[in-house]
Amino acid sequence: MLIIGAIASLIGIAVALSIDWFPVQGSSQAKKIDDLYDVLLVASVPVFVLVEVVVLYSVWKFRMRPGEEEKDGAPIHGNTMLEIIWTAIPALLIFGLCAYAYTVLVDIERKPKREMVVQVTAQQFAWSYQYKEPGRPTVNTDVLYVPKGESVRFNIKATDVIHDFWVPAFRLKIDAVPGITTHYRVTPVRKGSYAVVCAELCGLGHSTMRSTVRVVDPVTFKGWLAAQQAAKPAGATS
Amino acid sequence: MEAAGAAHAQDAHEAHPPEAHRSSRVEPQLLGMLLFIISEVMIFGAFFTAYFFIRVVNADPWPAHGTTLPVAVAGINTAILLSSSLTMHWTLTSVKSGNRFGLKAGILSTFLLGATFLFVQINEYAHIGFAPHDSAQGSIFYGLTGLHGAHVFIGLTLLAMVTVRAFRGHYSPEEHRGVEVPGIYWHFVDVMWIIVYSTIYVL
Amino acid sequence: MAVATRLRAPGLLRGALFGLVGLAFSYGITCAVRALYGWDPVLNGNSVALVALIACPLFFLVGLGAFDYWFYWASGKPTRPEDHSSHGARSWKDYFRVNTDHKVIGIQYVVTSFFFLLVGGLIAMLMRAELAQPGMQFVDAETFNGLFSVHASLLIFLFVIPVFAGLANFVLPLMIGAPDMAFPRLNALSYWLLPIAGIMMLASFLAPGGSFATGWTAYAPLSTDAPIGQMFFTVAVQFAGASSVLTALNFLVTIITMRAPGMSFWRMPLLVWANFSTSLLVVIATPFIAASQFFVLLDRALGFNFFNAAEGGSVLMYQHVFWFYSHPAVYIMMLPGFGIISEILSVKARKPIFGYRMMAFSLLAIVLLGFTVWAHHMFVSGMQAWIRIPMMITTAIIAVPTGIKIFSWLATLWRGVLHLDTPMLFALGFLTMFTLGGISGVMLAMIPVTIHVSDTYFIVAHIHYVLFGGSLFTIFAGVYYWFPKMTGRMYDERLGKIHFWMTFIFFNLTFGPMHVIGLEGMPRRVADYAQQFAGWNLFISISSFFVGASTLVFVYNMVASWRGGPRASANPWRALTLEWQVSSPPPIFNFDHVPTVVGGPYEYGVPGAVHGVFKSPAEAKPSGTVATAPTRE
Ligand code: HEA
Ligand code: HEA
Ligand code: CUA
Ligand SMILES: [Cu+2]
Repeated sequence: MLIIGAIASLIGIAVALSIDWFPVQGSSQAKKIDDLYDVLLVASVPVFVLVEVVVLYSVWKFRMRPGEEEKDGAPIHGNTMLEIIWTAIPALLIFGLCAYAYTVLVDIERKPKREMVVQVTAQQFAWSYQYKEPGRPTVNTDVLYVPKGESVRFNIKATDVIHDFWVPAFRLKIDAVPGITTHYRVTPVRKGSYAVVCAELCGLGHSTMRSTVRVVDPVTFKGWLAAQQAAKPAGATS
Repeated sequence: MEAAGAAHAQDAHEAHPPEAHRSSRVEPQLLGMLLFIISEVMIFGAFFTAYFFIRVVNADPWPAHGTTLPVAVAGINTAILLSSSLTMHWTLTSVKSGNRFGLKAGILSTFLLGATFLFVQINEYAHIGFAPHDSAQGSIFYGLTGLHGAHVFIGLTLLAMVTVRAFRGHYSPEEHRGVEVPGIYWHFVDVMWIIVYSTIYVL
Repeated sequence: MAVATRLRAPGLLRGALFGLVGLAFSYGITCAVRALYGWDPVLNGNSVALVALIACPLFFLVGLGAFDYWFYWASGKPTRPEDHSSHGARSWKDYFRVNTDHKVIGIQYVVTSFFFLLVGGLIAMLMRAELAQPGMQFVDAETFNGLFSVHASLLIFLFVIPVFAGLANFVLPLMIGAPDMAFPRLNALSYWLLPIAGIMMLASFLAPGGSFATGWTAYAPLSTDAPIGQMFFTVAVQFAGASSVLTALNFLVTIITMRAPGMSFWRMPLLVWANFSTSLLVVIATPFIAASQFFVLLDRALGFNFFNAAEGGSVLMYQHVFWFYSHPAVYIMMLPGFGIISEILSVKARKPIFGYRMMAFSLLAIVLLGFTVWAHHMFVSGMQAWIRIPMMITTAIIAVPTGIKIFSWLATLWRGVLHLDTPMLFALGFLTMFTLGGISGVMLAMIPVTIHVSDTYFIVAHIHYVLFGGSLFTIFAGVYYWFPKMTGRMYDERLGKIHFWMTFIFFNLTFGPMHVIGLEGMPRRVADYAQQFAGWNLFISISSFFVGASTLVFVYNMVASWRGGPRASANPWRALTLEWQVSSPPPIFNFDHVPTVVGGPYEYGVPGAVHGVFKSPAEAKPSGTVATAPTRE
């Protein structure tokens, strides 16, 4: 049975890892989160397979056969050694996973030396993005532009109810909460256009509260931002 | 073990259930009230959570700018409520020792003291000078004191029942649970007020 | 009986009449107050509706007769000896009045909550029909938001929580050798609060502006400026919550004070332990959801500022208060199921429960830990970042006591003689499916993963694996298992097996793929979605209709067997626990004499083992053969 279990686990892990679970990895954070997820899979599959194999084996081996209607099973009340084992091993596993998850968390939230800040504003049912540079007019757009390879900090605000700023390709989300400013950091690593999704129920238009983020190379980004700033009369800052 | 169900009483109107076995020394009513009080403490806990978030986490000024809380009046009111706990205690010792005058006088004065407290509280609302919709601080002030006021009201309802029954000749040294259990609730209402008073008015 | 006398006697008719009086009262009082304050217009539909939501049910309960005895008592009249006139059911009509018999109440509970399962499930079918294709087909966005909100609220507050209370109501007093619950009248009142809550939630569809549409979580400030339908949820939750608190008090007092002689805590069946733990959770946690909804009510109706950030309110406070109840609530929805599974596995495997004491301790451990993890629902809520880390650890630790239970059940199977009938199949289905749901729960505890999958279909998958594959499977198992005891009839085994296999297969086909689309980036609570998820969603919708159809098999089996199934013997499963030692259905007062407990509840396979005997404690000498020293291999 152990062998069956081991083989089934291996197959399970192989299948689980070969599936491409996630959308494209659009940020340096995405890679780390995906790896954590894979580790969780590797840890979970054997647990699940263990339960499954024991159930199936018992059903096959110990099921009542004709003539056994009145028979009882072995009166086993417990086994201290076993109980200790199945308390300790999951506990160790859990602590291991938590420790790893903690390091990943610290890693993806680390403050870089240099970062640019984008203000994100959520309202029913649209996103808008503000770029503020000292001495420059504020740029307000509804398509988010970020430079590839640079750390960006989003400061997120909501004007009415709770929304949630989520870019599946970046793997990161956080609620936009009335009254406070929330934030996260991301380093985009792949050029392209990705969906921005509102992930917190915010009313009638929740499912249509979408926007786009364009990851472009830094030079293009600079040009775009300068053009936007120039398009604004200097007095029109808000 | 064979089934023993076959021989059960046919006519339910005459039959009575078997006497339940008492597996604990605690009286069911008493235990029920204590558990209920746990629930009540938790509901206050939730309101205190709101208070904590508004006053401590948000670091809003307390009380809101331009308002004051009548600490002294509320202090006198506290004394009134606390003395009602004493009269409640007197009521219970009276009924236990068979002192019917003490029972009636005690329960009546407890009720009246409680009613006075509620009256003063409502009066305070009328003169306090801010409303729950003025600010979050106002909301939680009215929320907590109002929640407590509602409990005073429930307590008074219970006390009113006990008063009626006491004046109609119920209760005896053997049969005093009907006084004891509402009494416990009343003490709880008092203790809760001390906490509300000290967090809202004093701190 | 003349109509006039029937209107005066307690019952549904008088209840309805009083309900109308309550409505008139609501009109009167709101208009009076508004006139007094000089508000315009004097007749405001919304305020009347809100007052009526609270007043009508209370008037109805008075009319129904739920308070008759207490009014009599309060008026100070001479104490009336209990004549048990409201106890027991002699015709089906006795199920439609205030009844103090725990067995009647149990059946009232179970039938009512299954009604709400069907309604909630039907609503899910509508949702799946809408979600079968991207774009909007059958309903508009507002209705869709209402559908999943009502779906979840009904299934949580009107199905899973009360159905467990109902099953326990029926079997728990029998199991511990008590003639009834500790407070029978309170028990009746708790039941009657339920249909009120359920009807209120459903009635919200009729409210102007549509039903409540903010999810079962009703986050502020979305809920504090929603149309009046939201108030139907807010008030209904108060009624459902009051019902659970009162039942929980009743269970706790019953378990503590009314056990049969010899029934020490360590001889209680695990179902009793499970309900003991659950009741602790209910008593401590439920006031928090009551408070959270009071805040919403005050904010919305009276303009309080609890959640108004502009006036200094705290938006996140709602979530802390709500989850401080609602996380324990998920264990309220699981622990009684654990108890059911323990009963069934040991009887159907003909073996003692493996590690009985650890089973009880792990229940208590879950209760304790359950209070320390609420913020794992708030990992992306923008709360103080540091809180996430302790919450991640405590959340993950819950896997340890739960694991103890799973592994002990597996060990109970080992070297048993497994009777693979319907209750057992559902129990085994539970073992595998709940493990899967629990494992996805542990993944959700890992903050970086949750940051991506929170508020996606991955969560929806987790919810249904633990609530459907977990709770609902145990409920099915328990209903089949106690069906002979409750009705005196046997269910149809063949239909039961069909039900199991259909449910098991299509359940997985419905909710399994939700993990995938969640990871791929499909958010939850959306009526419309991106084209890339179309294939899977169609597949899910079709599978879900088969889940619905399998439920119809179950309903048919139950109705047909109740009416015409073969008579059941007193103890068809050869079980040891006390409820099986009396006739099926049990006699009106449960026992002629309270039994005496002389051994553990699960001593299957121990030669000559006895759990309880119908003798007085003096006669019942401890028999020597009973395993006084349990075999521990
Ligand atoms: C019956 C109900 C039920 C149960 C029992 C659980 C059990 C668990 N849940 Fe679940 N949960 C819900 C119902 C439930 N949940 C609901 C309804 C929501 C969504 C609410 C909403 O937003 O609408 C939710 C959401 C939810 C979240 C929030 C996700 C988010 O919104 O971002 C999280 C995060 O930590 C979580 C975690 C867990 C964990 C760790 C357990 C653990 O208790 C599971 C423990 C069990 C096991 C782990 C399996 C058996 C154990 C073993 C075989 C031992 C070995 C195992 C390992 C070492 C891994 N749940
Ligand atoms: C015990 C709890 C429970 C149960 C049993 C179910 C059962 C089902 N649930 Fe539910 N669900 C929740 C609890 C539950 N759910 C919760 C808590 C949420 C979160 C809500 C939120 O976001 O706030 C949720 C959310 C939820 C969603 C996500 C909505 C969204 O985020 O947009 C979906 C989507 O598919 C869904 C589907 C289903 C389906 C198909 C079933 C099926 O299993 C139902 C099967 C039963 C029946 C169908 C009834 C019997 C049959 C009939 C009456 C006959 C008619 C049938 C035919 C058409 C053949 N549920
Ligand atoms: Cu904004 Cu959902
Ligand atoms: Cu939780």
